[in-house]
Formats: sequence, C-alpha cells, structure tokens
Amino acid sequence: MRKTNRAGSRLLIGLVFLFLYAPIILLIIFSFNAGDSSAVWKGFSLDWYGRLFRNRLIMESVYTTLLVSLLATVIATAAGTFAAIGLYSLGRKRREALLTVNNIPMINADIVTGVSLCLFFVAFFQGWGSFARWFNSVQSAVELPERLVLGFTTLLLAHVAFNIPYVILNVAPKLRQMDRNPMDAAQDLGCTWMGAFWKVMLPEIKPGIVSGALIAFTMSIDDFIISYFTAGSSSSTLAMAIYGMTKKRVTPEINAISTLLFLSVLVLLVLSNLKEVRQEARERLGAARKPSGLERARQRFSEPRYLWVRRGLAAALACGFIGVVGFLSYVTGSRPVVNVCSWGEYIDPALIDQFEEETGIRVNYQTAESNETLYSLLKSGGADYDVIVPSDYMIGRLIAEDMLEPLDYSQIPNYGLIEDRFKNLPFDPDNQYTVPYTWGTLGIIYNANAVEEEITSWGALYDDRHAGEVLLINNSRDAIGEALFYLGYSVNTTDPAEIRQAYELVAGANRRGVFQGRVMDEIFQKMEGGNAAIATYYAGDYLSMVDNQAEGVDLAFVVPEEGSNWFVDAMCMLKDAPHQREAHMWMNFIASTEANLANMDYIWYASPNGKALELYPEWYEEEYGEPLDMELYQIMAAPAEVLERCTMYQNLDAGTLALYNDLWTELGI
Amino acid sequence: MAKELIRLSDCTMSFDGEVVLDGINLYINDEEFLTLLGPSGCGKTTTLRIIGGFLTPTSGDVLFDGVRINSVPPHKRTINTVFQKYALFPHLNVYENIAFGLRIPKTDASGHKARLPEGEIDQRVMEMLEIVNLRGFEKRRITQLSGGQQQRVAIARALVNRPRVLLLDEPLGALDLKLRKDMQNELKRIQKAMGITFIYVTHDQEEALAMSDTVVVMDGGKIQQIGTPEDIYNEPKNAFVADFIGESNILDGIMRQDGVVELFNRRFQCLDKGFEKDEAVDVVIRPEDIDIVPEDQGQLRGTVTSVTFKGMQYDIIVDFYGFKWLIQTTDLSPVGSRIGIKIDPDGIHVMRKSQYSGMFGDYSSYSEEYEEISDANYGPEGEGSGDEE
Repeated sequence: MRKTNRAGSRLLIGLVFLFLYAPIILLIIFSFNAGDSSAVWKGFSLDWYGRLFRNRLIMESVYTTLLVSLLATVIATAAGTFAAIGLYSLGRKRREALLTVNNIPMINADIVTGVSLCLFFVAFFQGWGSFARWFNSVQSAVELPERLVLGFTTLLLAHVAFNIPYVILNVAPKLRQMDRNPMDAAQDLGCTWMGAFWKVMLPEIKPGIVSGALIAFTMSIDDFIISYFTAGSSSSTLAMAIYGMTKKRVTPEINAISTLLFLSVLVLLVLSNLKEVRQEARERLGAARKPSGLERARQRFSEPRYLWVRRGLAAALACGFIGVVGFLSYVTGSRPVVNVCSWGEYIDPALIDQFEEETGIRVNYQTAESNETLYSLLKSGGADYDVIVPSDYMIGRLIAEDMLEPLDYSQIPNYGLIEDRFKNLPFDPDNQYTVPYTWGTLGIIYNANAVEEEITSWGALYDDRHAGEVLLINNSRDAIGEALFYLGYSVNTTDPAEIRQAYELVAGANRRGVFQGRVMDEIFQKMEGGNAAIATYYAGDYLSMVDNQAEGVDLAFVVPEEGSNWFVDAMCMLKDAPHQREAHMWMNFIASTEANLANMDYIWYASPNGKALELYPEWYEEEYGEPLDMELYQIMAAPAEVLERCTMYQNLDAGTLALYNDLWTELGI
Repeated sequence: MAKELIRLSDCTMSFDGEVVLDGINLYINDEEFLTLLGPSGCGKTTTLRIIGGFLTPTSGDVLFDGVRINSVPPHKRTINTVFQKYALFPHLNVYENIAFGLRIPKTDASGHKARLPEGEIDQRVMEMLEIVNLRGFEKRRITQLSGGQQQRVAIARALVNRPRVLLLDEPLGALDLKLRKDMQNELKRIQKAMGITFIYVTHDQEEALAMSDTVVVMDGGKIQQIGTPEDIYNEPKNAFVADFIGESNILDGIMRQDGVVELFNRRFQCLDKGFEKDEAVDVVIRPEDIDIVPEDQGQLRGTVTSVTFKGMQYDIIVDFYGFKWLIQTTDLSPVGSRIGIKIDPDGIHVMRKSQYSGMFGDYSSYSEEYEEISDANYGPEGEGSGDEE
C-alpha cells in the first residue's frame, strides 16, 4: 500500500514537472528544426540561430536589452543598497512600514506599473513642454528641447524603478543579520562612515547586493509589459521584438531567440543560487574546510597590497563599458535617422542595411502588432515615428483624424512604378498621403485530402459536413465579413439588419459545432499539421503553410466565388514627422523595383510595383535556379479577374464598429 | 602625576524624550583605570559611547585635554574601543583585523594624508600579537578563533593605534569564569605596561573592584558614587551602592548623637558623625563584620533560619525580631539554634536616607535575592538607541 502510494506521488511529481517544462522543451527542440514549422519536424539544423545573428532587428533589440538591463541594474543596485541602509537607520516601526510599501510594486500587476509609468512620463513631458517653451521665450542662452518623447531614457528609468524593490528585498535581510558593531569599530579605528561602509559593511552585505543585482538583471532582461509601455517608438527590447515577431508568422527564429533568452535567464538564476549554496557551505563548515585554490587566489588578490591593481581593473572595466556605450551612441546619434514602424516579419532586413549603406541614414525600425495598437500608440502621443505602414481602413481613419502629413511625391520618383490600380483607392482618393507597400487577398485555405470536393464558396465554412474541422478567424471584421460576402451583402454595409443576419449565420454554425475554434496564429500549426481542414487567412501566409505542410496534407487556397476582401498596406508619414526628408528617401527606396522584388521574395506578399510583379518569375529563376511555381504566384499576386470580385474594407462609423464588437462578444466560444 | 584627561560636564542624553543620562559630571585622569559599574540600563554604555564619539550628548560638554570634542566624529578621536562581542571584521584574518586601523591614511598636522609604510605596519602588528600572546595566529580566520582569542584580537586591534584612551565595553562578558579571571589580570598588565587610560564598563562588581583605580557606580542615568574600590565598598553613599557592591544588611536606624546609632531600640557604637540629632538613617552592616557569640552575650539575639555552605564560609540567615540578616561566618550554627551577635563600631556604616531606602538589604526572601545576584546576566544591554536586535 505504502509502495503504491510512493509510486503514485512520484508519478504525480513527474506529471507536474512535465506540465511545467514540456512547452519550453518543445520550444527548444523546434528551435533546431530544419523546416520553418512549429509542428512538423524536418530534421536538425542550426539555421535559425544563424539567421538570428544576421537579423539586425533582433541584434539591435539584444543590444538595447543588454544596455538597459546593465545600466538599470547598476543604478538600481546602488540606489537600492543605500535605500536599504537608510531604512535600517530608521526606527523599527517606520522601517517595517516602509519595507511593506517596498513590496507593493513587486506584487502589483506589471501592466498597472507599465501604464502608470507611461501616463506619468507623458504627463511630465507635457508639463516640461510648457516649461521649455516659456524658458526658451524668456532667454536665449540655453535652448531647452520642447518636445520629449518616450524612448531609451524612459525605458531605463522604468527599469530602474521596478528593479529597486528587488535590490532592497535582497539587501535588507543581510543588513538585519549583520552585526552593527564592526561598523562602529571601523569608525573607531579611524575610518569615516563612507570608509567603514566600503571596508566593512560592503563585504558583509555583498552576497545580498550580488543576488539583488542578479535578480534585477534577470527581471530587466525578462520584462516585456513595463518596457512595452515605456519604451516608446525608438527602442525596443528583445521581449518586445519577439512579441512583434509572433504577430504575423511564428517562425522558428522566435524559438531560437526564446531558447537563448530562457537559457541566459536560467544561467543567471543558477549562478545566484550557486553563490548562495557556496556561501552557506562556507559558513557551516567554517574552519573545517580548506580553501580551494581559487579561493586562495581570490583571498590573495583581496589583500590590501593589490588594492591599486583591483582599483585599476575596476576603472578599466568601467571605462571600457562607458567607452563602448559612448562610441555606439556617438555612431548612432550623430547620423541622420528615420523612424519606421511596420509589422513583424514584414521586410527583408537586408534592405535596411542597403538603405543605410547607400544614404548614411540610420533606420530605426520598430514593429507594432496590429493596426489598432498602432493607432492607440499614436493617439497616446508616446511615439515619434516618421513612417508607418498601416492597412487601408486604418489609413482612412488616420486621414479623417488629420494625423498624416501629405507627401511630396516629387521626392518619391519611384512612386511612378506603382501600378495605377493601387493608386487613388477609396481610403486616399486623391493619393496625397500614401505609397502602397503590399497587397493581398483573404481566402479559404483547406486541406484537399480532408474534404470531399473542391471548395469554391464561403458556404463551406458553415457546412455541417465539416463539423469540427473549421477554424474561424478570430477577428470580427473578417469573420462577419465572410458571412456578408456569402449572403451577397456589401462587406462595408452599415445596415444593422444585414450585419445581424450575417452574424446569425456564423453563430448558428458555431452552435452546431462546425467550428473547432477561433484562432489567429494557431492557424499555421493546425493547418500544416492537418489538425483542421478549413480555415480563412491571407494569401501570403498560405504560401508559408504550403512550405511546411506535413506528410499527407495537401493545402489549397481559394478566393471564393462570392468575392472576398483585398487589402493594401501603404507607407504614410505622420503629421509633423521630425525627419521628413529621410522619410521620403526611405519611401522612395522601398518603392523601387529592386526593393519590391527582395521584399516579395522574403515576405511573400504581393508588391504594388508593376515591374516587380512582372519581373519576379524571372528574378526567382535566376536566384534559385528553378522556375517559379506560377500557380502559387497567382495566389500571392491575384490576377485581375480574381481581384475584380474583391472589395476593400472601409473605415466603418463608430456605431457599426460598436455593433461588430457587441456581436463578437455575444458569440462567445 | 595625576593629570586630568577627559571631563564630562553636566552631560545629559535622551532618546525620543526618554532621559538615559541625567547630568553626568565626571573626570578621568591620564593613565587611570576607571570603571563604570552598574546594572543593565544604568547608562554606563551610553556614557562610554559619548566618550567614544558614537553619540553626541543632548546637552553638556565633553572635554578632552581641555578641548571640547562634543561633535568630533569617532575616527578623529585618539580613543579606541574594545566592543561588546568584539566586533571583529569577519572577512579579514587576524593580521588584517589588527592592521585595519594602521592602514587608514592619517592626516598629519600639515594636512597631508600619509600612509604608514608596510614595514612599520608589520612591525607594530607583530608587536601587538606578542603582547596579546597570539604569535602564529596571523593567518587565521576570525571564525577559527575561540572567544578568548577573539577578545585578544579585539584588544590588539584597538591598542595597535596607540590611543590615549582605551574604552572597553563589557569586554569579558562572553567569556567563561576561569578565562575571565585570566583576562582581568592580562588587561591590568597591558594597561600598566602601555600606560594608557582605560575606561571599562561592566556590571560585574567583583571585576570592577579587582581591576580599577576608580569605580563609578551608576544607576538610573545618574552617578551614585565615585571612589576607589575600598571607598565604594566600605563607605557606600546610599542603599543602592551598598547593595550593588557586595552583600549588605541595610536597616532603618536613628542617629541619636555622633557615634551612636539606634537599631531595634538598641544603641550601637559607631564611627559616623555629622548627622542631625535623631535623624532617620540607613545603616549598613556587612555580613562578614558580624561576630556570632553565645546568645546571652549578644547585643542582639535571633534564630538561625537557614544555612548555606559556601566553601570559605557559611552564609547563615538569622531572624532578629522579624528582620532577616545575612551573616558570613566560619563557625557552623545549626538551623533553629538561638545565637547572639556583636558588631564592632567600625563594622557599622551610617548613610543618609535616599530614594533607595527600604528597597534593599533585607534577606527575608533570601533565595530569590541570592539568585538574582549570582545570575550573571551578561547580555547586550538594553540601552543605547533602544533599537537593538
């Protein structure tokens, strides 16, 4: 009986650990996958790691992350240590109260911390703006900047702010354990308080400071939410970069970078734990233990006669660090810059390098995860992008709200290469604001081996024969739009009756169990692995699924006969953008045929550049030595007769948007 | 030869409105061994910390060589301290602990910061190791030393700086009895050899009497008596001092005239003079100053109620008219026997009434009292900032 109990509990523990670690282990395994699927194993490869180190967006975010984490750790460790010492010179009651207050930020939800810091910074910037304007108007000796935005400084301040409590929490117990008398003794022997602090208190509380610093560093590297709200537009941390990448396509590059992030945090934690264990062992064994060679060397090195060597080393390290940071900020700061915000995995990174090389302009390339988040970021005033790449309906909204700057097309000669059918579209009827970037269609992706006949109609989504096999797109506009197409209504209708009827079609199918679930990014794994038969998504993404489909899966794409949505993402410049000349140069560069060819090849979304569309099959053959699969190319760049039956989304009025929202909530799952 | 070195003049110290020291006036001579003696919380450690510079008195002055040093920080005073529980630096070895003070650059008269050459440091540390008998221990870690050895390191660390004054805050409190006796002799020897002023804090009256040139008895933040050990023992100023130093029977008496005091309606010859006629007084009679005589020859007659064998003598409790006395004698008188006592005039010490009258000196609850006395409550004192843990 006892035996089975023990076996049972072991099994339980095993299961718990499996549950805890399976996702991470899976992630690590798939970071070595040769294919670019997260569901199908195609052999071992280090390809994704290689790609990672060549991806400048990621490397830049790694640099930002390391820099902000290191600086924040140093500042927070110093501030936290002295704060803890200050706390300990207070009376017990006040100290305990303050320590409790210190704990609150750590328990507080990150999102609350992030949002409040963001609000705080923005409010401060506004106050500063008025002050600076007044100050500049009354004197002319010093010119204060009038416009401050979220950026590296605010990111750093936020990190320092949330790190300090962790340092205090780690240093405080060491102070409590510490015998106060040696501090007095050191002063008695001739030290000033500061001297006694360095010579006596610091060695005593060092383990607490080191573990506090390690935890602060780990927290900084890890942090996403607080960074997200305080980094603004010009810096993004690694976690933010990863999040941006997950939005379009989950590539194993993310697995690789996540693996590295996981491992580095793990190493830090192991280090801090090891330190503690060794410290305890030393205290326990005390005299009985013989010091190891390393310890003897360390002890020798800590003798006063090596003081100057130690100081020199520390100074050299500090100088080196400051030098590297200074050099990098000089290099990056002295060059003209253009701030671009786009979507994750939405550009061939080589193009950025090429542009920088050709023009000497530094591209600060950031990503947002959806039109809606981009919109709210712009509205909050926290961003100072020059160029953004929103989708059609969002452009309409931004123009309506006077948030875009009209372009000077004389500075964008390559605009002439854009096909006429992508100009003067409803969202920008006189084409004053936009340079089209990509276009594509929404359609049905299905596994031909899992359905009885070829699918040509949206009706397949609501067909009981496919019960449990259909993935509903988790986006109200698309999901209800598909039903509107099926019912023959306009996809931009504002008639509540029509919209409700479309909704009922979806809801009915949902009640009958036709849908397996509402998904966005999971579509990739589900379809590639053959775990669902039918889904709706964008043509470009279909191509990447085909590339990764598992054995026995035969994915097909169709733009249904009732018609579908087609979309255009276009480059625009924000009102009062600070780097307008550079922004124009960037847009012109991206509109070029060469850039469009490279982009099309990299992101598999069709180009609006007529020449690029025409040249691509030729270019492909030259590049890869095999002919382009024209059938697939027709899917990526839909031919005119397909495009004819497609409609573009328009920006809906507030009432209709609210109806969409309510219905979508009502659908539940 | 006795030159005044330190003077505390009307020093008062209060923490959060609580008065810990109340108008202390004290001077300390050069090369003197002075002991601050008193129970926990009497203010003796606070006094020491004021002299050391760790506390600034709320009011009053601290003079060193005639110069006011109230706000001079500890590191600028030529005073060093041996702390309670030693306060050694755990991350340094014995040698580095002792060399600590020598390695700190000193500012000389011309304002130049100067560092002692390694050779001199080495020589002085070795010299100190010799003095405290710790040769060969230089490379040991502090945690590898016994309590007595740590104590010696603490003393060496303080003395190596050649201070004018060494402050010792209950330095022997954590040692066992035998070691304590040895260290008492050692300290006395070092003090004599180096010719340094020692200011010693303890609550152990035996230690105080054995080592000091001058004893300062403190209670309730006030000095109760200053004097040589003999003065303090033989001529206590009040019931507190009489009780705290040694054993005492303290009785209510009436001074009938110079040299005559009345106890239990009987008149006794004494040597004390200068009291009002018929003044109510406290009378101290030391247990060893009482002679036991046959009942009919005694000035007082009583019944033995308890006997304790103490090795050198018996402690016997005798009931005289309901008041219990402690008598130390070498002759055994069994419990229940009736005895008489005789007291010589020089065995009687008359004191004026004080706030302590009636609080001490009655052995009715003998066993408890004895326990309290023998209880070596060596621990951190509850004084100081009131925030110790």
